Amino acid sequence: MPPTGPGVRSRWRSLAYGALLAGGFVGLFLLAGLIGPVAIAPLTVFHILGYEISGGLIGGSPCGGSVEPARCATLVLIVWESVVPEILLAFLAGALLGVSGGLLQGVFRNPLADPYLLGISTGAAIGASILFVFGVGLAQANLTLPLLAFVGALLTGLVILLAARSPRSSIETLLLTGVALNAFLSGGLVFTLLYNPIGNLQLNFWLLGGVFGATWSQVGLLFGGLLVVGALVALHGRALNLLQLGSDVAQSLGLDSRRVVMRSILLASVATALAVAFTGVIGFVGLIAPHIARRLFGYDYRRVLPLSALVGAILLGGAFDLSFAILPSNELPIGVPMAFLGGPFFVYVLYRFRSTAGSGGIA
Amino acid sequence: MTRPAACLEFDQVSAGYEGRPALHRVSFRANPGEVVALTGPNGSGKTTLLRAALGLLPLTGGRVTIGGQPTDRFSIRERARWFGWMPQSEPLRENIRVRQYVLYGRHPWIGPWESEGPEDLRAVDRALAAVDLSVGPDRGILELSGGERQRALMARVLASEAPFLLLDEPTAHLDIGHQIDLLERVRSLCHREEMVALVALHDLNLAARFADRIVTLHRGRLVADGPVATILSAELLREVWGIVAELRHDPRSGLPYLLPTLPGPKPRAAASEIEGVIHIVGGGGAAQPLLQRLHDEGFLLSLGAVHLFDSDSERARDLGIPAVVETPFAPLGDSVRERHRELIAGARAVLVAPFAVGPGNLANLEDLIGTVGERPIALYEPVGLPPRDFTGGQADRMIQDLRHRGAASLATLDEVVGWAERIVSLRGPDRAPGRSVREAGPSPEPIPDH
Repeated sequence: MPPTGPGVRSRWRSLAYGALLAGGFVGLFLLAGLIGPVAIAPLTVFHILGYEISGGLIGGSPCGGSVEPARCATLVLIVWESVVPEILLAFLAGALLGVSGGLLQGVFRNPLADPYLLGISTGAAIGASILFVFGVGLAQANLTLPLLAFVGALLTGLVILLAARSPRSSIETLLLTGVALNAFLSGGLVFTLLYNPIGNLQLNFWLLGGVFGATWSQVGLLFGGLLVVGALVALHGRALNLLQLGSDVAQSLGLDSRRVVMRSILLASVATALAVAFTGVIGFVGLIAPHIARRLFGYDYRRVLPLSALVGAILLGGAFDLSFAILPSNELPIGVPMAFLGGPFFVYVLYRFRSTAGSGGIA
Repeated sequence: MTRPAACLEFDQVSAGYEGRPALHRVSFRANPGEVVALTGPNGSGKTTLLRAALGLLPLTGGRVTIGGQPTDRFSIRERARWFGWMPQSEPLRENIRVRQYVLYGRHPWIGPWESEGPEDLRAVDRALAAVDLSVGPDRGILELSGGERQRALMARVLASEAPFLLLDEPTAHLDIGHQIDLLERVRSLCHREEMVALVALHDLNLAARFADRIVTLHRGRLVADGPVATILSAELLREVWGIVAELRHDPRSGLPYLLPTLPGPKPRAAASEIEGVIHIVGGGGAAQPLLQRLHDEGFLLSLGAVHLFDSDSERARDLGIPAVVETPFAPLGDSVRERHRELIAGARAVLVAPFAVGPGNLANLEDLIGTVGERPIALYEPVGLPPRDFTGGQADRMIQDLRHRGAASLATLDEVVGWAERIVSLRGPDRAPGRSVREAGPSPEPIPDH
């Protein structure tokens, strides 16, 4: 890429930040092993990963020579069947939520847009909860769950779009619409989850989010979903850049603004729905990730979108480790540390951008 | 510019917002190389017209054509290659670099699967050079001053290389220097590259200075369309903008410019309510304040006999006051004196400005003295008047004579107005209400004359 990108920092700095992010993934992996329910040495984690990934070709024994076989079987179970899929699910959900936040912030030209704050996540959760109320398609939950979640997310996204379309809309009204929608939908969610024929179903999980009990098939599904969403999102970077000039100006420059807005909301809904279907409602990832991405790598949405995914993944991976650190018994919903981080950050962004906000007609 | 020059034509265009019509069958044409100023009061439909051309607002009737081709068949991208739009304001919040900002103008030329190529970067460089942006292209757009930001925006519009520029109040946030600079660039660019600029402007003087043609909208309808020199008129200004203004002419360019009369107590009466003309004898600029003030107050005036290009005669021309004019530097000829006497005879009263009298215009006083007794005469003699007699005492004696035979002496413009009001109200006792206190009472005292 020639050095024509908007607000680009120097190349070397970008590379350094990129290396830091990549290192973050590995670090979070190992940290999860160390501070998890059973402390596992990084070297052992490496061993187990190498052994499992290569199908037993590397390393001779699963855990290396120094670990006795009985204990090794437990460790493999913990690492390979619990910690690894859980943190991978956290990474993937974080990436999807980060992308979703980046898209929404771009479309609404609003630094406070976020799938959780706008109620889209809760909408997705309600959609998913329908599955439990009516009990349909429970057998194929891995497929029906994200589908229903998508319907809920999209409907909520469209309501938000309508609110943003009104000529009197501003950042404040958009956010308040989201808050109202979120409160309304949360009530609905609790209702459907508490009064369903099957009984009290993991209310904590849905309201606060969690990766507890993640399976490899879920990881595979989210990974596939992220690839598809990512490929489609990659086509939207330039359009979102133009949209920052206002939808009318963007259209005068040859962009079909209306179509771009609709597609972006559709994509954000898909991304959110995928994440919510398997991890419940996790707030603030979509808010924070694009901010950090912009801070580190500039304003070009061609960069901001993929980097929002990367930062979102690291954020949620970090939240996963943090939940271990706070409560080593591994029962703390991942949304809790995220909320600890996101609440103050939200206030910070709100005050920082208040001065430039409110210039009417957002989408 | 690779595309051939084409006309932009609005053909019976109607458009509106949610059932509220904002444009009514507007038709006009802009030819290649032409700068057309789109004028009209707030809410007259200027912005709507530009948005309708851009396809941002669906037409409810008529069509916009480019070289005969209706634009509604164009795709969004195709339209963007024809029109470069400069909106009134942009909600940009992100501090992108100037170069990237200008590069956005190339979007209509970059396919959905492509990145910007070397031709796009060259177009950006050309556009930046054309607006002469003094800051580096790597500066953040939000760090620029208002003038620099507007130039960057202009560069973005030019980068698209669209042949039709639709500029919506491009000077709104600029100081006077930047206003002139920007419009001058637009003008020379259009003339040189055979482009068309449709510029919505509030400032009519800028419109008159920089546009080749003026199109005026009023309540969504086209009310005037024509060359600057002929289209601006006091009637248009009064009917469309509701202002009283006088049109003057720039001595250098010959172009009209307008001077609005400030609102306030005047004009106290509409011209039609004033009966009788007050004739002013002047010359050399001495009558200017009288002409201006009495004209502003709504009195009907005439002027004589002055020389062509004399500042009194220029002012009379700008105010639309009939005047008897002699060739520059020539003594007043017989035919001129004849017409001057006719003007005096047709006047209700005569006001003598403190003009300098020489052998060339002494005839003015002679002709006046010949009519003494027929109508009231007043001498405007402000304090501190320099010597005005250049005839060796002859003129002073004549003025003395006028005074002896009953001419009033007025020292201030307010006194002049009071005198004039008493005279024109002699014959019209039922004047319009709201006049000054002076006339509210019973019939004024008789005019001192004879």
